[in-house]
Amino acid sequence: MKLTVVILISAVLLSLACKADYDIEEVAPPEHLGTDHHDELDECEHEDAEHVESDHEHEAETAEPGSVHEESHEIDVSEISGSNRHVHDAGQRNHGTGWFFNQPWAASFIWGKMLRDSLILLVLAAVILFVSGYRRKHQ
Amino acid sequence: MKPVMTFALMTLRNLLRRRTIWGISIVILIALFGIGQIPGFGVSNEGRFILDFGLFGLEIGALLLAIGLASNIYPRDREQKTVMPIIAVPLSRSQYLMGRFVGAAIVEAAAMLVGCIGLMIILIMNGHAVPADMLPATGLLLVEGWFLLAVVFFFSFWTSPPLNAPLTTLLFIVSQMSVSGFIKLFPQAPGLMRTLRLFLPHMDVFHIKDPIAHGMDIPGLYFFLAALYGLAYMAFMLSVALAVFRSRDLK
Amino acid sequence: MEKFPLQVNELEKSFRKKLGLSSFKAVDSISFQLSHGEILGFLGPNGAGKTTTIKCILGLLKPSNGKVTLWGLHPASLQVRKRIGYVPENPDYDDTFTPLEFMQMFSSMRRLDMSRERMLAILDRVGLAKWENVRIRSFSKGMRQRVSLALALQSEPELLIMDEPTVGLDPAARKEFRDIILAERQRGASVFFSSHLLSEVETICDRAVILSKGKKVVEGRLDDLMRTEDHYRIIYRVSDDEPEELEVEAAGLQKSIDDLRGQGYSIISVNPLYRSLEEVFLSATGGGGI
Repeated sequence: MKLTVVILISAVLLSLACKADYDIEEVAPPEHLGTDHHDELDECEHEDAEHVESDHEHEAETAEPGSVHEESHEIDVSEISGSNRHVHDAGQRNHGTGWFFNQPWAASFIWGKMLRDSLILLVLAAVILFVSGYRRKHQ
Repeated sequence: MKPVMTFALMTLRNLLRRRTIWGISIVILIALFGIGQIPGFGVSNEGRFILDFGLFGLEIGALLLAIGLASNIYPRDREQKTVMPIIAVPLSRSQYLMGRFVGAAIVEAAAMLVGCIGLMIILIMNGHAVPADMLPATGLLLVEGWFLLAVVFFFSFWTSPPLNAPLTTLLFIVSQMSVSGFIKLFPQAPGLMRTLRLFLPHMDVFHIKDPIAHGMDIPGLYFFLAALYGLAYMAFMLSVALAVFRSRDLK
Repeated sequence: MEKFPLQVNELEKSFRKKLGLSSFKAVDSISFQLSHGEILGFLGPNGAGKTTTIKCILGLLKPSNGKVTLWGLHPASLQVRKRIGYVPENPDYDDTFTPLEFMQMFSSMRRLDMSRERMLAILDRVGLAKWENVRIRSFSKGMRQRVSLALALQSEPELLIMDEPTVGLDPAARKEFRDIILAERQRGASVFFSSHLLSEVETICDRAVILSKGKKVVEGRLDDLMRTEDHYRIIYRVSDDEPEELEVEAAGLQKSIDDLRGQGYSIISVNPLYRSLEEVFLSATGGGGI
């Protein structure tokens, strides 16, 4: 019974401490979410007007890790599935690729929370170990 | 520490002498080899395809290994009564759990390393470069696998092996969901779903196959924090599993 | 003065039935103790609560009430576990290992600094000299029991707890086990010996505790338990003939002696009659099967 109470209290503490603030869509600062391009090609900003429809580049909209803007390279359209889509360099926001940058590796603003939760979990683990060991010794 | 390591070694030898681990490893290697044979389905970069699916294969492999290795250890020990003389005399319950866990974790690590090397060989054989972050990425999948091992041990003190596997798989699946995605499972009670989600880990922390397949650079700090998060969650699960084990009668 | 190697006080263990709506008492307020250098027989019909009691003694089960201490300490404490050896009923060890591997691993887990020769000597002592490198998968029940005994003897324990150790052994092996137990007592160990085989208990034990339906029904020294106070045997001699015997009830003892003397017979001895342990057991447990 006491153990159940300890586990429940731990769970409540865990729930209070480790908030669901990993949900990047909910907690991301506006500069991270930026303004994703839509699929309409006419909304794209083409730096190089000479590029064909399927080969143009975009400005990186955020300064996320690994998302350094680079010069685009020529891509053979024939290799692309659904070849009328246009392609951007790896690491750059593209049409409908918000999900790609809404992963933890790309959202440095939640890394501190990972560290916070790790420490809380370690403290909770130590408390549970201590309490269950104490109970066993004194039963 | 010596009793735990000895028991871990005993567990390791026992697992290697059984067929389960070899069966799972062969399936993973065949799957990886198969990925190398598929000509990319028209994806612009076959290497990306192999990397993406290969790392996905390792992720699923980590789950299967955790279930295959650990779901039957304690139930078998209890059923065959091998746990009695071990816990009665040389080991405490915490040493028993840690010994079994460390033994299974070593097997899982070895299998993941073999899988990673296998994937590297397939990439090289197909004329693609091996990204520098592949080993750390596999390391994160291994941390995820260790966390799942702890989950499997936790469930094994409550349930039977046939229930353990689906419960662990369910946890694996729902723990990948964002809060909004989780709420969509049962939109009638968003508050309840939000609260439930609080108790689940964030497994997406360990999955970096997309950026690696796209050749992106991932900061070392992220690997460190993600590994710390996984290991902390693993320690938490193990402590809860031990608390349950300590309170249980061995009939 | 050191406390008893084993002391059980008002031990009670209940198990919940399915759904937890009701429970049954497997062990009901039993108390006994084991002294230093003593062999205590622990008897009872099937389901009497023997194994439950042993599991409480080993810390595998948590008592519902009462207390078990070994040398005054909690059964699961490290100091206790270092000093005991346990031979379980029907041991089923991981069968992918050999007896020697088990000896090595258990000695390491117990932090014993044992040489290979010492391990082989123990295996030899329990009759596994030529089997040390054979996986126990191919072992018979009796041979597994020997492995179990070897592991229990490994640390030269101060207390040996044995749960039906001779089940499945042939008569010669049983004799070997008995000799080892007596030798352990000679060394100074105390032995808690649970068995169905009353003849063995009768041969090696100093005292016995008999359980029935979870309760202690008899406890005492074997001599005292087997001696009956209500029947006596009179041995007398008629002139120069061979001595003759007469069994009488306690109530008529004095009258019988007087009668024999009155007839000119000489009384050689008057002793209480002894019952077998089986008779003691059957009368204590109400004739329940063993």
